[in-house]
Amino acid sequence: MIKLENVTKSYFLGDEEVKAVRDVNLEIKSKEFLGILGSSGSGKSTLMHIIGLLEQPTSGKILLEGNDISKLDDTELSKIRNRTVGFVFQSFNLINRFTVLENVLLPTKYVKGRLDYDPVAKAEDLLSRFGIYERRNFFPNKISGGQQQRVAIARALIMEPKIILADEPTGNLDSKTGDEIIDILKNLNKEFGVTVILVTHEHDIALKTKRQIYIKDGRVVEKYL
Amino acid sequence: MKTQNGYVHLAKSAFEDFKRNKVRTALTSLGIMIGVLSVVLLIALGLGLKNYIESQFESMGANLIMILPGSGFTGEGGAGFGGAGTVGGVSFDERDVNSLKRVSEIDYVVPIFMKGTAVEGGGEKKYGYVMGTNEDGFKLMNVKPEAGELFTKSDIQASSKVGVLGNTMATDLFGSVDDAVGKTIRFEDLRFKVVGVGEKKGDQETDNAVFIPYKTTFGSLNPDKSFWSIYLGVKSDDMVTIAKTKAEEMLLKRYKADDFAVTEQSELLETINQIFSIINSVLVAIGSISLLVGGIGIMNIMYATVTERTKEVGIRRAVGATKSDILKQFLTESVLLSMFGGVLGLVLATIIVMIVRIFFPASINIFAVVITLVISSGIGIFFGVFPARRAANLPPIEAIRYE
Repeated sequence: MIKLENVTKSYFLGDEEVKAVRDVNLEIKSKEFLGILGSSGSGKSTLMHIIGLLEQPTSGKILLEGNDISKLDDTELSKIRNRTVGFVFQSFNLINRFTVLENVLLPTKYVKGRLDYDPVAKAEDLLSRFGIYERRNFFPNKISGGQQQRVAIARALIMEPKIILADEPTGNLDSKTGDEIIDILKNLNKEFGVTVILVTHEHDIALKTKRQIYIKDGRVVEKYL
Repeated sequence: MKTQNGYVHLAKSAFEDFKRNKVRTALTSLGIMIGVLSVVLLIALGLGLKNYIESQFESMGANLIMILPGSGFTGEGGAGFGGAGTVGGVSFDERDVNSLKRVSEIDYVVPIFMKGTAVEGGGEKKYGYVMGTNEDGFKLMNVKPEAGELFTKSDIQASSKVGVLGNTMATDLFGSVDDAVGKTIRFEDLRFKVVGVGEKKGDQETDNAVFIPYKTTFGSLNPDKSFWSIYLGVKSDDMVTIAKTKAEEMLLKRYKADDFAVTEQSELLETINQIFSIINSVLVAIGSISLLVGGIGIMNIMYATVTERTKEVGIRRAVGATKSDILKQFLTESVLLSMFGGVLGLVLATIIVMIVRIFFPASINIFAVVITLVISSGIGIFFGVFPARRAANLPPIEAIRYE
């Protein structure tokens, strides 16, 4: 489904070139549940952003379902992001001036073309699935962290994406709530066949995924040390 | 299934933000409001003044030539209406009137003598203008009798002590126009019988006048037997230029070229229009400064808004907003903010103009309304585009990490 070929991403800090991701080759198959494990500063977030089309690699190719998307312009990438990828972040990243329901609907505002379902009905369905339908008219800062993360997952799912990218989704939650979130992601993968990529620095959380890769100094390494 | 209209979402998002920052929104719009208010008011007053003066001239009829002492309207020491207040030049007399009457293109010749004085009558005293003229003077000034009748040629020949009152003068002295007819008025130790009252004209000078036969002024009122000005009614439009040349030739036999000015009504209107368009442009330019300041206020607030919402921009970009979606979002906000101020300013200006109209014929036209909306949305776009572009060009990752 997604294939990275010799992907490198480098930044300049002053005159010094910093390679956040070095020469990564990676294939993620459809319906996978993949854990990307790495310590902080290992380059795992940059790799996730590249997979999620939020950043473009300095060199190398990204193939999405066989098509090279590393040379597409910003508008095209935004469209693909809208339709294909759903993000779940550590800090939830909900917009506090919008209600829960409005937050879930946000991606549907940027659809170029038509949706073949009613977005509001779909959003309400997702919210009831995650047990927060009653909170739909609340503002995000009035609900708990676990509930906020469920809203974020509902937002990630509203466009029926092929991939969910979760960047440390349990980082701001207690372990019990964190486990619930991981269970939700696991179910999405199992029941609906959504490809889930979970980025984390916690070994035991990564172990809940079906396959793990380890990142160190921007490279994919065989063993996590 | 169609998704919710993007523009509805944009406007809704903007209004949410306005609601959350009521004071900031109000203050920002206030800048534009004041700008629009001052521009629209100045245009309205300028137009009103222009229309007022034009209508004054139009009520005197077309095909008109004015002969004024001095260099008239076109040069220095320009004269006012009717010649009152003229400095320098010559005074015309009956000989000029008679010689001008011999020009075949001229239909009628109206001499004007004018003097401001206190008029007594009906136990009241009122300040007004005594205007010595002939029977054609009523034609010239478009005065028709509302009560009684106008004085005639024979009144002039006989130097009768009869007067026709302006409408306001009659009602102020005698209570009503009908009561004025037949009564006696007094000014400058002279007694006159009121034979008629003119219809209301809407201009101070005519409505507060006492019209008397010009020959009657020859005496204590007008010992020199002179006139401030002479008006010529030309038989038809195409004869105006010839009549003007002939009148000039006629007067040059007696006076030097610098001592009098012969002006066509259209020339005069043109000069007035020129003056007013300059005054108007200057006023609008001054008003525009406040619009500019208002625009800068909007730009300032929009920059603050972009910074405040950097994270939101990142989130929107992550869920699929393109750069142009973000650009549109912030532009919508600045345009709405600006138009809000513009409409408010327009409403306020309309109210003020409606009040001013009681005293003065100011007017707001559809042109001003359209211009206001176009200009205020233009300001919104112009001053909003820089902050909006900054937002659109934020790198999504950096934006989403912004705290």
